[in-house]
Amino acid sequence: MSTLLVWRDKLQTIYAEYSIYILKALQFLAGLIVFGLINANIGFMEQASSVLCTAGLAVICTFFPMTIMALAATLLILVHFYAVSMPIAVVSLVIFFLMYIFYFRFTPKKAWIVLLSAVAFGLKAPFVIPAVFGLLGTPVWIVPAAFGIMSYYMADLVKDSSAALKSADAENMADVLISYTRQVFTNKEMWLMIAAAVIGILVVHLVRTRSVDHAWKIGSAAGAAVSVIIASAGSIALDLDISFAVILVSAVLGIAVGLVLEFFFFSVDYSRSENIQFEDDEYYYYVKAVPKVGVAAPEKEVKRITGERPGRRKNDKKPEEEQPDKLNEEKTDEILLTRSLSKELGIDQEKDKTE
Amino acid sequence: MLDKRKIRLMTRAAIYDKTYGEEDMKITGYYQKDYISLNVWITLIWMTVGYGLTAALLFVGCGESLVEGITIARMLIIAAVVLGIYLSLVIIYAIGAGSFYKKRHMQAKQRMKKYMRDLSKMEKINHKKEKNRS
Repeated sequence: MSTLLVWRDKLQTIYAEYSIYILKALQFLAGLIVFGLINANIGFMEQASSVLCTAGLAVICTFFPMTIMALAATLLILVHFYAVSMPIAVVSLVIFFLMYIFYFRFTPKKAWIVLLSAVAFGLKAPFVIPAVFGLLGTPVWIVPAAFGIMSYYMADLVKDSSAALKSADAENMADVLISYTRQVFTNKEMWLMIAAAVIGILVVHLVRTRSVDHAWKIGSAAGAAVSVIIASAGSIALDLDISFAVILVSAVLGIAVGLVLEFFFFSVDYSRSENIQFEDDEYYYYVKAVPKVGVAAPEKEVKRITGERPGRRKNDKKPEEEQPDKLNEEKTDEILLTRSLSKELGIDQEKDKTE
Repeated sequence: MLDKRKIRLMTRAAIYDKTYGEEDMKITGYYQKDYISLNVWITLIWMTVGYGLTAALLFVGCGESLVEGITIARMLIIAAVVLGIYLSLVIIYAIGAGSFYKKRHMQAKQRMKKYMRDLSKMEKINHKKEKNRS
């Protein structure tokens, strides 16, 4: 454990030193994943789904805030939808606009949360979301999480019925518009997964903010369990085709991610926690103090046991204050030199033998 | 010689300028009451647009079953439900937006105060230096 803690400290130091480059690299990676997933799943417009476009968008978005990436992803989705059918693009545009009106107008900087939840669903790890959002966020994060899930299912719907939608002629435009809108709003799987993720996030957050020991671990496990139960029960009750393997594996992954997050953001030693009670004129206080776990990275100290230091001239005069230190240093050097020489020559061993 | 205190103050001021400066300047340009009421109105207008769009989408998606065999009584009930939901949303958003923008204005004001205090401290340091020179 202490080795891991040392590694964590080292990582923190590296991050503090190169945070600009690390963040930009992560942003580029996120861009590649987001645009790559969109183009791989709903790349209906050939020009926009090329590798060049994916990489280009990722590079461009690296140099802008994450909000721009969310906006670019929305536009890319709309372009691909437009290539399939115009009514679909219009309905999707209206839905994205509604998302903006009801939430992102207030906190545009949180737009990346939508991307994260959509990506988690795209990578078949839906129940990582309750653990991550519940542990690191606030209950308000359920709104962008739900929007992300909605965006994913909209894309999934178009992907599944793209052939039928493409073949619809101009006369059937109205039918496409009505059927797509109906499918989006009556998609049982989407609403079920939104419910599972939202309740999961709230459970994780509720447990995490309690003062019980191992609240983070219990929280992520409880959130994963609740999400699995809701998704499985809903899938059976509504006769849906949700893979149980995906549900279970993603829940386990969620717990693992929760442990990693706890290690990085909330590393405490519960065995040394203390419960203190005191009072003032107005209140009684029941305080639980849990010490943080931290191991300082060992610093390497190089001691020179050879003669002169590089860069020091023979004729350099030292100030008088440094004289005693210098003498001590010389003595230490001499002792160390003698010891190492005796070791090398085997004098110590011979002495021991004779004694 | 470098003045560490001045460097610290300048760095803090520069960071503020970069992250919040422009936005806070806009926000604190209004009185709190004006800022809140203006933004609550804007929010309510946006909310109305959003509600209209949602209602339209729902009507497109599920309107067929609603319209089928409709009577005047049923139409009135639907209208009452639509209006009721709208009014409750207006109340929720007005209260929510009110407290949200109040908090935002207060935070901006506090940050601005701190920034101004830093600036006046820097000015004092500069004055002191000028005096010493002369």
